[in-house]
Amino acid sequence: MKTDDPQIRWLDTPTLNVAERLYLPLVVEGLTTTFRHAVKAISGHPVTVSYPDEEPQIDNPLIYRGVHRLNKDAQGRVKCVACFMCATACPAHCIDIIGQESPWPDREKYPASFCIDELRCIFCGMCEEACPVDAIELTSLYNLTGRSREEMIFDKEKLLSVYEATKDKEPMRSSRMGEE
Amino acid sequence: MNTAMIIEALIKIAILIAGLATGAAYLVLLERRMAAWIQDRIGPNRVGIPLTRIRVWGLGQPPADGLKIFFKQDFTPAGVDRVVFTLAPIIILIAAFVAFAVVPFGSVVPLNASDGTRPVQLVVAAHVNVGIVFVLAASGIAIYGVLLGGWSSNNKYSFLGGLRASAQLLAYELPMGLAVLGVVTAAGSLDLETIIQQQGANVWYALAQPLGFLIFVVAALAEAARLPFDLPECEQELVGGYHTEYSGMRLLMFLLTEFLHLITASLLIVVLFLGGWHLPWLTGYTDQVGWFGALLRIVVLVVKVLLVVLFFMLVRWTWPRFRYDQLMALAWKVLLPLGMVNFTAIAILDQIQVVWKLESTAWTMLFALIAWAVCIIALLAVGLLAPRITDNRPLRPAADADMVG
Repeated sequence: MKTDDPQIRWLDTPTLNVAERLYLPLVVEGLTTTFRHAVKAISGHPVTVSYPDEEPQIDNPLIYRGVHRLNKDAQGRVKCVACFMCATACPAHCIDIIGQESPWPDREKYPASFCIDELRCIFCGMCEEACPVDAIELTSLYNLTGRSREEMIFDKEKLLSVYEATKDKEPMRSSRMGEE
Repeated sequence: MNTAMIIEALIKIAILIAGLATGAAYLVLLERRMAAWIQDRIGPNRVGIPLTRIRVWGLGQPPADGLKIFFKQDFTPAGVDRVVFTLAPIIILIAAFVAFAVVPFGSVVPLNASDGTRPVQLVVAAHVNVGIVFVLAASGIAIYGVLLGGWSSNNKYSFLGGLRASAQLLAYELPMGLAVLGVVTAAGSLDLETIIQQQGANVWYALAQPLGFLIFVVAALAEAARLPFDLPECEQELVGGYHTEYSGMRLLMFLLTEFLHLITASLLIVVLFLGGWHLPWLTGYTDQVGWFGALLRIVVLVVKVLLVVLFFMLVRWTWPRFRYDQLMALAWKVLLPLGMVNFTAIAILDQIQVVWKLESTAWTMLFALIAWAVCIIALLAVGLLAPRITDNRPLRPAADADMVG
């Protein structure tokens, strides 16, 4: 290394005061810190969550990105208008929608089938952001398990049932469509 | 020496080896739990009694670990020196066990004392006149095992670990020896039992010789290759150092030895400086002791050792590892001069006390105060005068020192 290189930014080493040069006061300081942490953990406040034995506390379920749900409007119909925005936004290509002409006068299309492959999903939340009618949302359900790959492809009924299961704990972020 | 004495010694050895091996295994668990607690975690707490759901704070972990490592393949890599490779863990383990032969685990048990026979000493080889020298010598052989293991592995990392170990342990034996000299001078004996009784009669040497205590604790950490000084076996740089190539039972022997060294170091600190089994106003310090007193002394010693071990574990998670030049500078430029100052001061004070027969408590207190003053002055002098050993970066060229900001 050339020491006269103008690119080099020289930093001066900090000057140590007497306590720091003696080293022992810092020793005591460091020991105090570790001891405090040990006491905290022993007295029952570790950071670790013993997961299967105790449920993790999710700070804000409204911004947690867990299992998807399909919201319903005030009349109990699926809010989705089959615009394919979520499927287009999805980087993992895990959303499969079959659109059909809507039986209701207030929208043109509705999803005849709406499938999400939860095993392909990366839980990025882009579908939630892309949705113009706030129909698809991510819930705070974190323990997603199944016994087969087929079981993990959630269809429309399953996603709507997730909504029924979580709507009380996690209200819809927006209810525009339902109230019109 | 009759048959009864041989049987007595054999029983003691059996208890000692079984107890130490179990103790070392449970220290592994304690270390893992301490590490977890200090990092705000819980640690291994799930292994309990097999085939039940009883967990007992993870106390089943050491047997499970032992069983696992017992069934692992004991692999000998190609290219190693087979004889030495096999010999190294055996040497180091035996040396670690041998060191305990003269360490008192309590004082005496008044077995059969009523019908005129002698009480049983709670040490394998009782009243060895060169006790502390024996311990230091035995732990000196441990370097041999580390060096042989590192060298015979035919692996760069192991080799470096072995080299580092030899240089480090050699460097720290000196200040350690000087600190021990202070204790030996004050006690007037090399026998560990006598040293404890002297502390009971006068004052614990940690209070009378603070500087020696400090030096000994640091040197003991280095001798046990505990964390601020664990350069021989650092996982990050040397992938485990001298035992990189070992597996299965032979690795277990090395790991067991590590914790035996921890126990030795703690025991030495307790025996030499913290009064051994002595606790003021509670245990007394003579050989005349009943059953309750004998048990109390054992408990006191074990608790003290455990506290020192806990302190060592706390230290482990407090400091980062030293750089090698810092390690050497600490030994040769700081601890060695401090050790000389300590020994000189203690020798002069002791001589004054002996020549003028100043045996009263007040004089003992005064001498302790002088020792504390010496300790503080010496530390200040070293701290302020010792060359800075914190930095090895290139120096800024002097010419343009003030134009770059």
